[in-house]
Amino acid sequence: MKKIEFKVDNIAVSVVMFIVCVSLISVMFMQFKTVEETDITEIESMRETELRETLSEWKTKYEQTNEKLEDTKNKIEEYNQKMEKNEETSVLIDKELEQSKLNIGKTDVEGEGVVIKLNDNDDNDIIASDLIELINELRYAGAEAISINDIRIINSTEIVDLDNFSYISVGEQRLESPYVVKAIGNQTYLSSILNLKDSGYIDKYKNSGKSVEFETKKKVEILKYNGDMNYKYLEIEEDQ
Amino acid sequence: MNKKQICITLGIMCFILTFAICIQIRTINTANSTASQTLTDNGLRDEVLKWKEKYDNAYEELKKSEKTLEEVRQKATKNDDSSSKKEEELKINNTLLGLTNVKGSGIIIKLQDANENDSLATSDNISKKLIHNGDLLAVVNELKNAGAEAIEINNQRITNTSSITCEGNVTKINGEKIGSPFEIKAIGSQGLLYGQLTRPGSYLSLMSDDGIIVEVSKSDDISIEKYKGVVNFEYIKAIK
Repeated sequence: MKKIEFKVDNIAVSVVMFIVCVSLISVMFMQFKTVEETDITEIESMRETELRETLSEWKTKYEQTNEKLEDTKNKIEEYNQKMEKNEETSVLIDKELEQSKLNIGKTDVEGEGVVIKLNDNDDNDIIASDLIELINELRYAGAEAISINDIRIINSTEIVDLDNFSYISVGEQRLESPYVVKAIGNQTYLSSILNLKDSGYIDKYKNSGKSVEFETKKKVEILKYNGDMNYKYLEIEEDQ
Repeated sequence: MNKKQICITLGIMCFILTFAICIQIRTINTANSTASQTLTDNGLRDEVLKWKEKYDNAYEELKKSEKTLEEVRQKATKNDDSSSKKEEELKINNTLLGLTNVKGSGIIIKLQDANENDSLATSDNISKKLIHNGDLLAVVNELKNAGAEAIEINNQRITNTSSITCEGNVTKINGEKIGSPFEIKAIGSQGLLYGQLTRPGSYLSLMSDDGIIVEVSKSDDISIEKYKGVVNFEYIKAIK
């Protein structure tokens, strides 16, 4: 009797053990698969930051475009209302023209901003490309109006070295050191971009031995562009 | 005795298997989090597409309403001489600001990083065989000096707020990524543009000496699209 009991017990134990082993091993195999997949998803998860960046770029672009769209629709509405009531529409065109003159540089303007002074020193002269790089960095930092020695920088302004680097021509006017560059825009933004450690314009040029002075101002005045703005070779092409 | 042995073996096996399972559960946890990351990735991709579509739609609509605004403006100003003159000036300003599609004759410049094995390149400096944002700035400046009236690089219109920057190894214009090969289109006096840009000692000839692949061609039929971003000045105020 005892012997039989023991045998049954033994068989039962073996069966249980077998089942446990099989299930555990299969669980382990499943896990190994997951481990392999983890390596692949790691690469994909690296793209997440990039995706987020792209997403926020599109959002901003959408918001800006939408804002402009609303603005355009409002203007259409205003024109239509005035025309319906047979009122004078010249007020509206005046307003639009004023705004475009402001954007293009046909008006004297003021606002918060920064002033940068560049000087020739004994070892290093300031050359055209120094000014070109500065203008580029100011635009990147959102400058809305820029002048060099009171010459307004507009889209078509060129900056060129003259007479073997002794003068710089800005918009066909001959300038000499010191060069005073004024810019109007968000003061904090302008200042923080230009003053980035090592890679910002100010640090970079100081380190290379050039004389650069930087100053923020609550009120910067920039004169309008002193010349004719027009075009000869362009033709407007309508949107399809 | 037999029973004891079985018990010990069982005990050891259980211990090993439990240990293994514990390790696997840990892996599962990380695997789960990466799996959900893949989900957020896909979610993000959908979001990006959604916002891109929203932007595209808004931009299409903006194009339409800008056209309507122009028609309404024309209608409103046609009976009044001074108003229609202002309307004309507004159009010119917008064109100079890069807010209209334009066409005309000019030149097309193609730039490409030097071939790595180019033995003709005089420069040993690898950095000089690549096109940097400073190179593009210099070429744009030469184009302006030669009187270019509209410029674009890889479909990005150069306006008075455009910057050409380099973040890491990504070149950006108007905040949009662009890369080599670069195609620069410029409208203006064809003879002047071509002559100035290809003269010995021009910036392009210097780049070409460094091994950069430079190709300049004339074209009588260049179309340049308008700036697609939004100009919204907040800091400049007109001085009355």
